[in-house]
Amino acid sequence: MIAYAFKWSRHNLFAKPFDALLSLIVIPGTLWLIYSALAWAFTTAQWDIIPQSMRVLMIGIFPADQVWRAWTAVGIIGALLGAALGCVFSFRVHHAFILAVPPLALAVSGQGMEVSGPAALVVAILGCGWALTSYVPLARKVLLPASFTGFISIFAVMAPPGVGLWGGLLLSILLTLVTAVLSLPIGILLAFGRRSRFSSVRVICTGYIEIMRSLPLILVVYWIWILMPVLATGWNLADVARGMIGFTIFYSAYVAEYVRSGLQAVPQGQTEAARSLGMSEFDINRSIVLPQALRVVVPPLVGNVLDIFNAAPLVFIIGLTDFLRAGQMILANPQYGDRTYEVYSFLLLTYFLAGSMITYAARKLEAHMAVGSR
Amino acid sequence: MSINETSAAPGVVDRDQQQARRLRNRLRYDAIQFAIIALAIALVGVLAYCVKEGLAAKGIKFSFAFLANTAGFDISEGKTLSFGEEILPVFEAFTSDRTNGAAFVTGIFNTAKVAVLAIVFSTILGTLFGVGRLSTNWVVRNLCFWIVEFVRNTPLLIQLVFWYFAVVLQFPPLASAAKWYGGVIISQQGLHFPSLSWAGDGSPISIALATATWLAFAGAVFDPVGKMRRACMIALAVMIGVLLATDMLSVDYPVASRFQASGGTSLSPEMAALLLAIVVNSACYIAEIVRGAIDALPKGQWEAAGSLGLSRRDTISDIILPQVFRVVLPSFGNQYISLTKNTALGIAIGYPDLFNIYGTVANQTGHSLEGIVIVMASYLLLSWTISAVVSFADRRLNVVGAKR
Repeated sequence: MIAYAFKWSRHNLFAKPFDALLSLIVIPGTLWLIYSALAWAFTTAQWDIIPQSMRVLMIGIFPADQVWRAWTAVGIIGALLGAALGCVFSFRVHHAFILAVPPLALAVSGQGMEVSGPAALVVAILGCGWALTSYVPLARKVLLPASFTGFISIFAVMAPPGVGLWGGLLLSILLTLVTAVLSLPIGILLAFGRRSRFSSVRVICTGYIEIMRSLPLILVVYWIWILMPVLATGWNLADVARGMIGFTIFYSAYVAEYVRSGLQAVPQGQTEAARSLGMSEFDINRSIVLPQALRVVVPPLVGNVLDIFNAAPLVFIIGLTDFLRAGQMILANPQYGDRTYEVYSFLLLTYFLAGSMITYAARKLEAHMAVGSR
Repeated sequence: MSINETSAAPGVVDRDQQQARRLRNRLRYDAIQFAIIALAIALVGVLAYCVKEGLAAKGIKFSFAFLANTAGFDISEGKTLSFGEEILPVFEAFTSDRTNGAAFVTGIFNTAKVAVLAIVFSTILGTLFGVGRLSTNWVVRNLCFWIVEFVRNTPLLIQLVFWYFAVVLQFPPLASAAKWYGGVIISQQGLHFPSLSWAGDGSPISIALATATWLAFAGAVFDPVGKMRRACMIALAVMIGVLLATDMLSVDYPVASRFQASGGTSLSPEMAALLLAIVVNSACYIAEIVRGAIDALPKGQWEAAGSLGLSRRDTISDIILPQVFRVVLPSFGNQYISLTKNTALGIAIGYPDLFNIYGTVANQTGHSLEGIVIVMASYLLLSWTISAVVSFADRRLNVVGAKR
């Protein structure tokens, strides 16, 4: 064992003088950093602020007596997410143990039954959706209409207390979902427009895509936000809706570029073969080219979802209370004193966990898509 | 597909019939084209009309005249162009009695300042991270992997806010500021570095010396002749030595008093945080680009270099990276553009970049739409400049005969 460790470190840490020097500088530095971070996390840090302000962080200023609405929305999202997962990975027993971790963690961290209970329920729903699509092929067929109904119901259940009250992490998630879903069809249309036979369509679509891609998202969101009331005086659209429109307008251009790269990956022979069968241009694009193109670009589109999720805090510019703003609101409360590091660590770690899951999914999906493609 | 292609009927084709069909197709194409253009113009017209009505309802007239009005607000840092008696415009600090147009110029200047610095530093750091991810050293490799993974999976805005509130603002106050060897002062009020200052008068000797120094510098950087770099570097060192010895060039050290530091070059806390956040963030994306490009190089390059007896470090610096930089330049260009766009996040911590100043001007004058046009045009201009420079460099590097 010791001999193995010695050989391993000889090979991986001290292979050459330069490596040894690097190791001697980097290892103590890293160890010291990890040690001081851990020492801070377990002694100095006062983590009680996180469980105490969990509701604000998760749903912002959504009224406390309406929390069941948020839980219902999370339940629907969980079911859809589980169902989507099931189409790619089969549900196995060990996944159940992984799924059980978040509600247990909530219970251990001192959250009462009113939080851990619904969390366990959401996780159970997610697991059910996952198992359903893994083992029942019919369930995959109804996934598209089911997710459509799901999105409508999320809005139906979340809207009554006022759309302006949406906030916290839930707002980020809803914003990401809406943007990802709406920007896909617009992006596909733009991508086809960019390859249109008609030069005017080509110029308009190319111009739109290129202009959007060279502007900062924050500018587009702000711009839509101030332009809306000017365009339609008297029609008072909620800030959240304006933000979603801004995000969709911006990300459609990116989706269009991904889809276009997918369209280019479809061999010319496919179109030619379809044309010689006498299919119309519309049918060729709809049933021959687009499915093959989308198949190629699913992994980058998942990566795009991560981008949208990571950009969600930018809605601070139009005064929405998203996850980051909720954290800053808590920090502004003098009752808690200076807990800057605790709150930011929580924000960063939550985002890191969610982001890593999305990247992991994208990577797995890429491998899954590659199987059987050639 | 060309529009003139028609599937010819088998057998004998009537020439007139074919021509008539072609004409019909062309007319249909033109009609649709015309309809689309008309529709687009109508749409823009309706939008413009709605905007005009909306603005009229608020009592604002769409005009760019506000640019010439006095701004009436201060900008914490940045310079603007001033067209005075001199032939060439001079850089001056922005003051509240300048115009709104000058405020926009300050914003563009501040955005460009952060962008240029961030491009330089993130390229260096990103290449280091990218090479580090392929290091033979286990610790270095994994450290780089986790840094890159963490940064890419968390929002830039939270990183920026973290750098500002949790790092830069937690530096010691100036009264007890940390002072490093070489006169670097790190404090809540910002970072202060020593800088070089030019004290030469307008005499022919000093101008000649300055020109010679610039020539040596340009030669060392661009090396137009080839094989002149070393000579130019030596010349540059000698020139700087001469200038320092004759007191034409002097080192200006920052001096800290109780409440403020003067002298040298300083970075405001906002700029320092924005620069840190953007450099680290972009470096991680650049690291991925570099790693991907190194991975994509044929294994034979490593093997050939190894069999020639080159060390791993020499292989990377002399064989691998030169080839990698040819491949990655277009990706770098995209990253530089997105980095420049990201500087707009400076508004979250109060850095007076273009977007921030636009917000102030729009608030004060109500001309938010005209301002948007200017801001959009500026960002488009910045993006196009970057992509033009990158594609110029790309063409220069990918000379004929050096094909991959």
